[in-house]
Amino acid sequence: MVPNNGLAGRRRGGRRLASWVMTLVGYPLTALWTFLGIALFPVLFLAWKLVTRWPAGRIMRHFIWLYGRGWVALNAPFVRFRREGLEHLRLARPSILVVNHLSFFDTYCMALLPFHDVTFAVRAWPFRISFYGFFMRLAGYLDVENFGWEEVLKAGEQTLAAGGHLLFFPEGHRSRDGRLQRFYSGAFRLAVETGAPVIPLCISGTDTLLPPGQLRLEPATVTLRALPSVDPSTYPGPDGHRELMHRVKGIMAEFTQERIEK
Amino acid sequence: MTDLEIIDLINTSLAEEFELDPAEMAPEANLYEDLGLDSLDTVDMVVVLEGAFHFKIREEESIREIRTLGDIHRFVIGKMRSAEKLSA
Repeated sequence: MVPNNGLAGRRRGGRRLASWVMTLVGYPLTALWTFLGIALFPVLFLAWKLVTRWPAGRIMRHFIWLYGRGWVALNAPFVRFRREGLEHLRLARPSILVVNHLSFFDTYCMALLPFHDVTFAVRAWPFRISFYGFFMRLAGYLDVENFGWEEVLKAGEQTLAAGGHLLFFPEGHRSRDGRLQRFYSGAFRLAVETGAPVIPLCISGTDTLLPPGQLRLEPATVTLRALPSVDPSTYPGPDGHRELMHRVKGIMAEFTQERIEK
Repeated sequence: MTDLEIIDLINTSLAEEFELDPAEMAPEANLYEDLGLDSLDTVDMVVVLEGAFHFKIREEESIREIRTLGDIHRFVIGKMRSAEKLSA
């Protein structure tokens, strides 16, 4: 007989109840927030254009960041959002951000970044989602599956030259066990070819918020941690980008392993 | 080197660099669909093979035809045998 069985049972029950409330409230709120954003988009877009005179892509990236901020605020009653290592981002020159991938909600959590001008480099399937695809194209996001390398390089150079950041999920897929999977090399080749520093970002907790293979949301603590940037100029040669990739993966693995062991 | 030694060196080099599961490295495995490589990986693969076998292959047209691991085995074995004939 376990002495605290009753207490543990009540905690489990309370957690399950919170999970159902969160699921029943969280999804409709997210849907409402999304529909509101879509409905107001034309008016807001024109207003932003008149006021800021920014290019359409930057306005869209700003809207996506604000949409993510709204999602964070809506989920704040159930999810504790933490940011660490922001000092590595605040003074960062245009950079290539690489982040581990645990959940569908990782992209929403990029609103925790302290800047909005972030161009995502993603696979082809999100571009096929209704509305999302339109907004992603307008934001100038890179479809790394269908773009040729020269196209990715050109778009990447233009983004960095305009003062923006690029963001990659180098694993390409969500991890099922929290451990880093093999990395694809595109982000690191781009860093070596453009000279832009690589900033590793480690996210944790989104796999607790929405566990793999489950639709029910769970209360969680989501942490986005920025690590010191890595200079690509110290990785010359034809396989320099792969050495850079292995180095960055090693740095990120220390954090993700540490989090799994907790 | 025997054909088996060449195949073993290819598989070891690629498994190490691309973190591939040796159990999935069958000759008929498609590089993209089965092993999950992308187009940039195949460019990097050339560099890995050049490093492992100390030859230059990046300019060769036939490398564009490679689709499976078995194609790589045959390509490298052919390249090694040609080099042996030239040096004999």
